[in-house]
Amino acid sequence: MTSSPNIISRKGPDLRRVFPVPAQPAPRNRLAAAAPWLVAACIVGYALFAGGYPATVVGFALIYAIFVSGLNIFMGLTAQVSFGQSAFAAVGGYASAILTTQYDWGWLPAMVAGIAAALAAAFAIGYPTLRLKGHYLSMATLAIGLIAHEIAVEWESVTMGYLGISGIPPIDIAGYELAGDRAILIMLSLCVAATVFAVSRIRSSRLGRAFAGLAGSEDAARALGIDVARYKLVSFLLAASFASFSGSLFVHVVGYVSPEVFSLHMVILSFTMLYVGGIGTVAGPVIGALVVSALPETFRAFRDYQDLAYGTALILLLIFAPRGLAGLFAALDRKPSSDRGKGGTAP
Amino acid sequence: MDATLIGQSLVSGLGIGCVYGLIGIGFCVIYNASGIVNFAQGAFVMLGGMITHVLLVRGELPYGLAILLAVLIVALLGVAVERLVVRPLWNRNAPMFVMILATLAAQIVIERLTYLAIDDQPKTLPVFTDLPPVMLRGIAVNMQSLWIVAGSLAIVAALALFFKTTRTGKAMRACAINREAAALQGIPVHSMLALAFALSAGLGAVAGIMLTPTQYTAFDIGVPFAISGFIAAIIGGFGRPFGAFLGGLMLGVTQAGAILAFGAGMKTIVALSILLLFLFVRPSGILGPAK
Repeated sequence: MTSSPNIISRKGPDLRRVFPVPAQPAPRNRLAAAAPWLVAACIVGYALFAGGYPATVVGFALIYAIFVSGLNIFMGLTAQVSFGQSAFAAVGGYASAILTTQYDWGWLPAMVAGIAAALAAAFAIGYPTLRLKGHYLSMATLAIGLIAHEIAVEWESVTMGYLGISGIPPIDIAGYELAGDRAILIMLSLCVAATVFAVSRIRSSRLGRAFAGLAGSEDAARALGIDVARYKLVSFLLAASFASFSGSLFVHVVGYVSPEVFSLHMVILSFTMLYVGGIGTVAGPVIGALVVSALPETFRAFRDYQDLAYGTALILLLIFAPRGLAGLFAALDRKPSSDRGKGGTAP
Repeated sequence: MDATLIGQSLVSGLGIGCVYGLIGIGFCVIYNASGIVNFAQGAFVMLGGMITHVLLVRGELPYGLAILLAVLIVALLGVAVERLVVRPLWNRNAPMFVMILATLAAQIVIERLTYLAIDDQPKTLPVFTDLPPVMLRGIAVNMQSLWIVAGSLAIVAALALFFKTTRTGKAMRACAINREAAALQGIPVHSMLALAFALSAGLGAVAGIMLTPTQYTAFDIGVPFAISGFIAAIIGGFGRPFGAFLGGLMLGVTQAGAILAFGAGMKTIVALSILLLFLFVRPSGILGPAK
């Protein structure tokens, strides 16, 4: 560590001290750092072992983990607001569905095309939208999500409206179709691992520190030469591409897509996951997605109560535990304070 | 396209526009008292119609009494939302976005509770006065639309009177201008917040009740109405109650025109596009921002 104040130099290691990455203090012992991953591994491991229905539930959770990780980049790391990420999941999902069923594309080019389309849409939408702040930004993004849903319903010649598109082929690798529960689960776990790796790299990179900078104070960030508008847009684009990726995965795993998949329910559900796991942390979205998906499934008799439970849980979390499970893990971390002086860096 | 058809949709646009306007006023009243945007506003619109239906059909109360009771119950529920969801967050200095998310979650919770307590079937209410439509130069104006327009105008006038002349109304306006200064003057800012929720919930309920005879109500109609009300408030300049009413009328008429031109399916897309247009080009609305 240098002591010179070269805050915006090319290498810029000092930015980390100026803008400590929020909401995730450096873990002081290994167990606490590993705890969320152990929990996640246990849930996925159980599903792999059990197969069948638990595997399906955990599979959905993993798809959501990718979506929520993207949301977390925009909201947790950059402290912006978007209620409309479902729109980009819809772009990816419908691109994959339409290109593979009607134009006989392979799943990979279709998925890439979906991400490209989502990026283009996010660029066109983000450019005017991200100038807005506060409730204006909230409402504009909510409107974008709802417009996407309406378009999916109304543009029947392409999306088949409420009927939806069925018969979407599963993902195949080298001629081997990933159709079994366990094969899909392994594939999704790898996707989540890649996502987590990407997010943690982004978080500790120069880009991530710029995000943290404008999360802390836009004015201060601007004063330090961070191009606020550009980084906001980059954060939005990243979130949109993860959303599109998860949308594509969803349609291939389920084999069917309809507008209902990308409704307001998805928005509320993904926010619940984000807050349960802990907003602004790398592990939070994964843990949140797994826990939130697993809990209602253990009480399957109460299917009608699902949205009620999500909504209530979200309100209670926002009031009483705004840091979610990450706060719990952090508390676990605080107790054994023997090696406090070491001060490791965030993973 | 003949003139009567255009006139006809203008009339129906004005009717629904009044409803949007009332919902928009509800947004402004809460925003002015607290700086909070209450996304659960649509729930009150839905509850107004639903509770009146239950009181009327299952409770077998007279129509007028059922309406009165429903508005009171919804106003109380508004206070309950304030006490259970908004107040705790407010006391913890939660960021604005958390507040919005919490009220959106409250919307879903209320929706689901209504679904479980009543059912998922669309419900309707009888028209207020069962008379044939009034003919104006070949345009049929049904009595319920007249009720909506007249009722809304009366409410707007009453609100204007309330904010201008009464002590409580003036105190609420003082909160809107500067909460801290108002608190220093001895105005109970916290009760003003509760009152604002009661008032805007009541407004939403009235809007829902007046509208239900012309359409229907169901547990999930809240969100679209909340969004239309929000758009009305944005068009009028957020935080300006009467701007919101004007915005509601404009939105209603534009939507009616869009239905005429592109078909009913485009209604929501047109409304949301108007919202985006205003947000991007003129976020302060037609009358400019409050304050």
